[in-house]
Parts: sequence; structure tokens; C-alpha cells
Amino acid sequence: MDKVLILNASPRAPRSNSKEYAKLFSKFYHGKTEYLDIKRTNHAALIEKLSDFSDLLFVFPLYADSIPVTLLNFLKDLEQVTPARKPTISVLINCGFIEPQQNDIAVEMMRLFCKENGYPFGSVLKIGSGEAILSTPFQVFLNAKVKKLARSIFLHRYQVFQVTMPIPKRMFLKASSIYWEEYGKRNGCSKEEMQTMLIEGK
Amino acid sequence: MNLVLSDRSLACLEENRSDLTYLDLSKLKIANCVGCFGCWTKTPGRCVIRDDAVKVYPLIAASDRILYVSRIKYGGYDTVMKTILERSIPVQQAFIRLLDGETHHVQRRVLPKKATIIGYGELSSADRQIFCRLVERNAKNMCFESHTIHFCSEDEVEDVVRREVASWTRS
Ligand SMILES: Cc1cc2nc3c(=O)[nH]c(=O)nc-3n(C[C@H](O)[C@H](O)[C@H](O)COP(=O)(O)O)c2cc1C
Repeated sequence: MDKVLILNASPRAPRSNSKEYAKLFSKFYHGKTEYLDIKRTNHAALIEKLSDFSDLLFVFPLYADSIPVTLLNFLKDLEQVTPARKPTISVLINCGFIEPQQNDIAVEMMRLFCKENGYPFGSVLKIGSGEAILSTPFQVFLNAKVKKLARSIFLHRYQVFQVTMPIPKRMFLKASSIYWEEYGKRNGCSKEEMQTMLIEGK
Repeated sequence: MNLVLSDRSLACLEENRSDLTYLDLSKLKIANCVGCFGCWTKTPGRCVIRDDAVKVYPLIAASDRILYVSRIKYGGYDTVMKTILERSIPVQQAFIRLLDGETHHVQRRVLPKKATIIGYGELSSADRQIFCRLVERNAKNMCFESHTIHFCSEDEVEDVVRREVASWTRS
């Protein structure tokens, strides 16, 4: 029976965009899925579950052009054990910038982990404008790609997909400025304050 | 300012030097970034986690020559170095600009820098390839005006550091 374990490797997993992407995936996947957050203290428990799953889907954000420390540390622990059955590892990554290709290095790191440790590598969905796309009408494009990702994993016909907001970059700059200004406002922080050039007050 | 950030101790830099600042990150207390964006939208330019990282990212911003020494894992920086790189986003603003036709964040008061990265460990050709591409991308987000990468084994790190730092005093 095909079953996908979805592991969220966002450092802010309970409030993350990754969590929303994982929810969409579960909705569109035709088999069973189980969703869990990677925490600092639950690596062993998560790794123990692996053998029950045909597929493992990591959902995570791009951090400083590569995989976040939360995921790096989990992989280093995973490397120490050999599960009875190694699931196929797929990747659902999102980044803040509009270009989904900015995720490419992180995907290559995941491929390298799989190669070094004998895990089959599965499908990839690279999301650009991942901080914003969920709250725009462009969510329909996102849904379509998550559906394709889910289908490819269900059929074991693994593929690479990408999606972003289909708008000119200049427009993205404007939209993202408004997004961050609003974010600041909710914290009582003005645009001018957010634009400070000072670091630690200097 | 010349800055050396290392994920291990470097005996060759232990004595006090006036020409560079050296930090052994493995001796500092630096927690993981929690992705709260407080440093962009609540206390701009300051991380809300008040551990040793808040002493490090201002130094990164103020340096015009930087040497990173890091073990490499899966073609990227290993945990110690990656943790401080993630904790350093207070040096950027939330706002985005175009750089070489790509979207990137506006930097706060960050000096353009000559960067050298020493990546060490038992490295495969895939590790090296991925790491070179990673640093190429970092350059855009971390204000590198130029960068050089040296790969070596763990045993060779001190030698490579010594040579690199000596070349700074010559130039
Ligand atoms: C420390 C840190 C580093 C980041 N680095 C990048 C980056 O290099 N490129 C990028 O496009 N977005 C970057 N982002 C933005 C996140 O990838 C983006 O906000 C994403 O939607 C977060 O997903 P999550 O809510 O699932 O954690 C970074 C965010 C943080 C907090």
C-alpha cells in the first residue's frame, strides 16, 4: 500500500507556508498521508516510522540559498541509521524570491544526500514567491502543480515541477513591498523603521 | 576590517592580532533561526534571539574582507556555519530589489566584501560542484564583490588558513 510520510522541516513548522503546501498535497494525493513536524528532539521517533512508508516528502523553505539547519540536522541523524525499507524521497521546497530556480542548490543537496545514503530520489516541486502566492489568485496555478506532484508520486512516475506568480518582476517588487509594509504595520513598525540601515543600532 | 569566521578552532590564529578579528563559532552560543521575521518587521536590524549571534552579524556587515572556514555537508555548509548564516538576515531589509535581473533583498549598512571560503572534509566531486554553485548564489545575497573557494581535507585546514591570511598582509 502506498503511503506518504510528509515531514515539515520549516523552523516555524506550526505556522509555516510549508504546512499549507503539505495540506494541499494531502488533499490531492489519492493514497494515505501522514504529516509531522521535524523538531529538535523527535528525530529518532520520526526515523523509526520510515519503514512503514513507500514515500517520504520533505516540505521546507529555502534558507540562505540552501536547506535550513532544521533539515540538515535531521538528515545527519538519518544518515546514522539504515531503515528496513528506504522510502523514495521527494521534495516540496518554497522560497521567498520570485524565481523558483533559486531553490535549485537545495534540491541538488537533497539529491546528493539520497545518492550518498542509498535512498531513491523522487519528485520535486520548486515554488517561487512562496511567502505570498498562497494569498493571491495565483493559488490556482499552485494547486495545479501540487496536484501534479501528488499524482507523480502516487504513480511512481517521478518528475520535477516548478511554479511561481506569473507576474513581471517589477510588479512583484511592488506587491512584496506592500506585503512587508502590512506585516510591519501589524507589529507597530513603520516602513521607515523597517528601512533602517542600522544593524544592532549601529 | 578583516574577519575570519571558523566552525573549528584555528591554532594559527589564536594569538591576538591587530590585523584581523577571528571567531571560533563552535565556542559561541548560537541558536537556530526560528523564521519569525522579527529582524525585518518588529525590531528592524536586530534579531529577537539575544544570544552570541547578535555580536557576529554586525561584524560580518562591517568587514570588507572575510574568510569563512567550514566543514562541508551535502555540498553545503555544515551546521555550525549554516546556523550563523541563517541568523545573519537582520543585515538585510524585508524589501526586495532587482540585482542582475533577479529578486534579492535590500542590504542595510553592509560593506561589499572580498570573500574567501575554505570548505573542508572528505569531499566528493558532487560536494565541490554544489558548493561552488552555492557560494555563487550567496555572493548575491551576502554582498561578495569577489570570492575564492579553497577545498581541502581536515588536516590541511591550518595550512590553507595560514597561507590565505598571509596573502592579505601582502596585498
Ligand atoms: C533565515 C532565512 C533565510 C532565508 N533565505 C532565503 C533565500 O536565500 N532565498 C529566498 O528566496 N528566500 C529565503 N527566505 C525566505 C523563505 O524561504 C520564505 O519566507 C518561505 O516562504 C518560508 O517558508 P516556511 O513558512 O515554510 O518556513 C529566508 C527566510 C529566512 C527566515
